[in-house]
Amino acid sequence: MSVENRDLPAACIWATATAVAVAVVGDGTPLRVLLGLPMAVLVPGHVLLRAIGIRTHSLLEHLVYAVGTSLVVGISGGFILNAVGALTPAGWATWFFLFVVTASLVAARRGGASYLPSWPRPAGFHLRHAVACALAASVATGAYVLAVRDEAKQQQYEYTEFSMLPSIDGGRLIVAVRSAEARTQRFDLEVTIDGHQLAAFRSLAMAPGDVWTREVPVPLLADPQKAEARLYRLEDERLYRQVTALVPGS
Amino acid sequence: MSMVPDRLAAGGRLNALPFWMRSVLEVIGPDLHGGGVDAPPQPASPGWTAALSLTVATALLLIAAGHGAGRRGEADLALLLFWSGIVLMVVPTSFRIVWPSVGRSERLVLLLLFAEGLFCLKILYSPTGFADYDEFLHWIAVDDLMTARRLFLSNPLLPVGPTYPGLEILATAIVDLTGLSVFAAGALLLAVLKGTFVGALFLFYERISGSPRMAAIACVVYMGCSTFVLFESMFSYESLGVVFCAVIFAAEAGSKDLVGGSRSKAFWLVAILLAGLMVTHHLSAVYAAIYLGAVAILEMLRHGASRREIGLAAALAGVVVGLPVLWSFAWGDPMVGYLGPVIETGFKALFHRNIQDTRVEVMGWPSEPLGMRLTTMAGILLLALGCATGFFRSLATTAVGAGAQPGWLAIGALLERRWRDSRIVFLTFLAFGFPISVAFRLNVSGWEIGNRTGTLAFFGVGLVVATSVVYFWQGPAARRWRVVAPALALAVIVLGGVTAAWLNPIQGRYRVGADAESIEPMAIGTALWTKERLGPGNRFVADRVNLMLLATYGRQDVRIFMGAGISDSRVYEPEELPPDDLYALKHGDVDFMLVDMRLSTGPPVLGFYFQPWEANAGEPLSPAALLKFDGIEGIGRIYDNGWIKIYDMRGLHER
Repeated sequence: MSVENRDLPAACIWATATAVAVAVVGDGTPLRVLLGLPMAVLVPGHVLLRAIGIRTHSLLEHLVYAVGTSLVVGISGGFILNAVGALTPAGWATWFFLFVVTASLVAARRGGASYLPSWPRPAGFHLRHAVACALAASVATGAYVLAVRDEAKQQQYEYTEFSMLPSIDGGRLIVAVRSAEARTQRFDLEVTIDGHQLAAFRSLAMAPGDVWTREVPVPLLADPQKAEARLYRLEDERLYRQVTALVPGS
Repeated sequence: MSMVPDRLAAGGRLNALPFWMRSVLEVIGPDLHGGGVDAPPQPASPGWTAALSLTVATALLLIAAGHGAGRRGEADLALLLFWSGIVLMVVPTSFRIVWPSVGRSERLVLLLLFAEGLFCLKILYSPTGFADYDEFLHWIAVDDLMTARRLFLSNPLLPVGPTYPGLEILATAIVDLTGLSVFAAGALLLAVLKGTFVGALFLFYERISGSPRMAAIACVVYMGCSTFVLFESMFSYESLGVVFCAVIFAAEAGSKDLVGGSRSKAFWLVAILLAGLMVTHHLSAVYAAIYLGAVAILEMLRHGASRREIGLAAALAGVVVGLPVLWSFAWGDPMVGYLGPVIETGFKALFHRNIQDTRVEVMGWPSEPLGMRLTTMAGILLLALGCATGFFRSLATTAVGAGAQPGWLAIGALLERRWRDSRIVFLTFLAFGFPISVAFRLNVSGWEIGNRTGTLAFFGVGLVVATSVVYFWQGPAARRWRVVAPALALAVIVLGGVTAAWLNPIQGRYRVGADAESIEPMAIGTALWTKERLGPGNRFVADRVNLMLLATYGRQDVRIFMGAGISDSRVYEPEELPPDDLYALKHGDVDFMLVDMRLSTGPPVLGFYFQPWEANAGEPLSPAALLKFDGIEGIGRIYDNGWIKIYDMRGLHER
């Protein structure tokens, strides 16, 4: 293998490493991302350009064409994997591996297709420039972290979720309360069915983030029954939430 | 002293024109002011690049802080921080990019930095999830694809979507290879696409103008397009489609000087890219067909074009028209059904015929801060000025013998079909699409078509305005105000693109019917509750915003019709349900209905609560109308958080 063609085995090694990573490395790990993203948007296009024998005249031109054709390779793979019922992580890894290896073999058999644009080394680039760029990356990352933090803290509405669902067999009612209020609140909760009290829970203290769930047994009748649950807020002694559910007949 | 150059004045009849007319003709005329385009470039300056990287990063920090202030309800502070950040990012970077003597590689690096910085605006607006309506439509498709592991699944909110699954396929590939979430994979893909788009755009302009400086200026002008900052940065098929367009245009333009086998290989490269575009986005495929078709026609008309050149151009035009048509017809031609009404409504609105734009009558335009409107207007006026002073000059750059026949005589060569590059001729005329797109955008019904026309028209606008800056406003050896004023104008043009992209670019409090501005944690929590407690796949109806949250966070089977011909809005709007609609509900198959009481607290920002075609668009909803389902036998309110309620409709079907 000539020096100019070293990119082809490198692409094959990359494809192999990606396939192995998809099989054994956990989701979202930095290694999977570092291997997988270039495999989806750069490497297949690069070997395709080499296989066709397209000579590019600058690094920019090569990267732009490589990304463009990689996208087409990915889309084509989607149709092929769909046709064979293999649109899965393993299917994708196999597709890109087979494509890269095949295109590399075709490119290697081509005579005179070894041209690659050189990476332009920036003149006058000193340590202080690298430090400034690293600092810029840190500040930009800080901006993102700040945005995530502010989004997580945003709470325009303070509320309490109240819900009631009949179980699948109809023999129970699942009543739930979840607090997204700013402070702890106390509630009384009553459950009735066709106007008759079924259950009552007194002085429930719900702190922000608390979830309270109970299953209330329901006597099954031949006809459907209407269940109603009421949540009273003790602070102002008012009906705070009200939900209803239809319990199907037996 | 006359401003008219001697050679123009000596041109004969023009001399007899009034002074003011001669002055106007000189300003808009085709005089190229002596030829040389680029001043000798300096070597790339790492110092400038590093300093501007820090500047852009600081700007992003200010913008993030602005969003934080907006989220806390501190509107004035948010405005100050956010717009300080935008100005800090746009002004110094665009100044350096368009400075006359900057080296090619430095311009390129700064262009990529600038483009990715502008892309980050969208990420900082919504850092952990998708925010725009179109993004949700494609997120639904990706989720469905990843659940069923097969393509072409129906999408009730975007019926044309399954025919163009390119974006969903790529997003799924990245998710499966990396194990990232759909949002993270989509954001990474979009960042790559943004860089690729600007790189391809730079190559394209550089190839046809022969000047890195003009290419860089044209790219900055393109960033002033209202679709660049937001619309083409969304997780949506047009973001991928327009990248394919730019790469195709660059590859085609790059092949113009190739001969023999290299030309054939370049042809195949373009054909491969066209195949990808065909299955990605309908309108972008139309853009490519318009561009390559027009270039082929102009090549046929061009005096002195070789048969081989005409043949290759015609073959490409055949491929670019044939492939999308074949693909579309293979799927029953959904494109016409999808785009047809948009185009028809837009044209009707433009010519004020038979159009009853209820939203305009009732709601008026969605309001924007005055400063944003003024910036948008300033950007449009500067673009118009650039187009006016660049149109004939752009044509003159490609006229055969322009150097020997200065002034208006160069245009005469074009009338004799003597031009060097058909691409420049077409792009120059394409710039006329800019005022047309602005005209469409002046009314609500035509806004959509105007917005999308701008994406294509700006390929021409970029070239024409860059020609104007280089040949007229700056010239080859620009000094002082001739350098500063055009650079400042270009910065204002980009700022105009930012202000035109959003109704409100700063995060803030919930607003009714405002898509991205209506998404907040409580509604997302409700959608998540449906998935957790009801399970996925229940048939749901809701307003537009909650519908997309239910479909994505809740994984529910959402509907925009209650039954045959009965839209959601028809059931939600009246204070009493008419017997016909109740009958349809009983015999329909909707399982659950979500009611958001916040809809009754104000008019919808975009003019509608449910879908754009709702009958009483713009009319406020009453709380009584939304609560009427409590009184209907067989319907149970199973969830209530004070604002949002979910009704179980299944008991109704059994009656």
